[in-house]
Amino acid sequence: MQLIAGERCALAASSGLVNAAPDQASKTFLATQTLDEGRHVEIFTQRLYDLGVKPNDLETTIKTYINPHLGKFAEVLLEKIDKKDFVAGVVGQNIVLEGMAFSVFEMLHAGAEASNPKFAHTLSGTIADERRHVGFGENRIGELIRRYPEKKPEVQRMQREMTKHMLATFHEAFARNGSPAEARTGAPQKDRAGPTYQGLNLAEASNEEMEGALSATVLKEFKTRLGRIGLEYQSPV
Amino acid sequence: MTDPLELPASARRPRQTFELEETGFNEVPKRFRRFYRRWRGAGDKLGPNEALCPVCKVVIRSTKELRAGDRVYCMPCMSRLELVEEEGMLIAKVIY
Repeated sequence: MQLIAGERCALAASSGLVNAAPDQASKTFLATQTLDEGRHVEIFTQRLYDLGVKPNDLETTIKTYINPHLGKFAEVLLEKIDKKDFVAGVVGQNIVLEGMAFSVFEMLHAGAEASNPKFAHTLSGTIADERRHVGFGENRIGELIRRYPEKKPEVQRMQREMTKHMLATFHEAFARNGSPAEARTGAPQKDRAGPTYQGLNLAEASNEEMEGALSATVLKEFKTRLGRIGLEYQSPV
Repeated sequence: MTDPLELPASARRPRQTFELEETGFNEVPKRFRRFYRRWRGAGDKLGPNEALCPVCKVVIRSTKELRAGDRVYCMPCMSRLELVEEEGMLIAKVIY
């Protein structure tokens, strides 16, 4: 459910950025990204149908189960897109949102590789697309931030806001999924090595440990990526 | 101690060469696939002909040993990279 909400936000943001882009190469790339995001929305929606949601109930189901913090995360980004702020929009979309999605998909992929190969295959295709999206974000913005250093404080403020909502999203998602770790993979499998993510055995880890590993990975990535393009990571705490 | 960069080109140790086999990486067109592989996380030791793309975490492979100053291209994320030596390790830096 949260994957669809995130991909819908990415679709709205990337399509909005096409018109805000200052050059033809960026417009063309963002148009291909819009197509990618549309495909992601479709495949994750289909997965929801496969799990039993009726097409007529799709919108109400999403409204009922969307993580409210993820909704706020999307609002912060889409506000910048509405103002046609290209630099802030690309940092929010291709570095913060895609950077978060990249780590979330990798964690889900690690967990699903053995137990749900179909979903893992879907995720690996999505991860391949995300590589291009974060690559565009870093390369294009790395150059633009050098040209417009006066944009830095505003972009950093947006990053702090988005990070706050992202951490709250993770917290609520893992807290809501209150079942013990073995419920995720069937029976406890102490004798078998379970799937691992960042050195954490996903089959045995508690929800708190998983939230900690994911948050730490995403924040470390943010810090490194933002540093590379000349922005300073702003902690929301 | 001698600085290998100060030596005449003829005196430098020749670069090792490598045969690249398919690694199952399928995110780029077929003819380029052997030049990339998936990174297996922190414990994944890179060979002398390999560099990690800091943007998308894919390992870039070359038929020749890589050295500081070399430029490589990461096709999966379209980043141009330059190799620099930091604390005795080769690190790929993005060229913006």
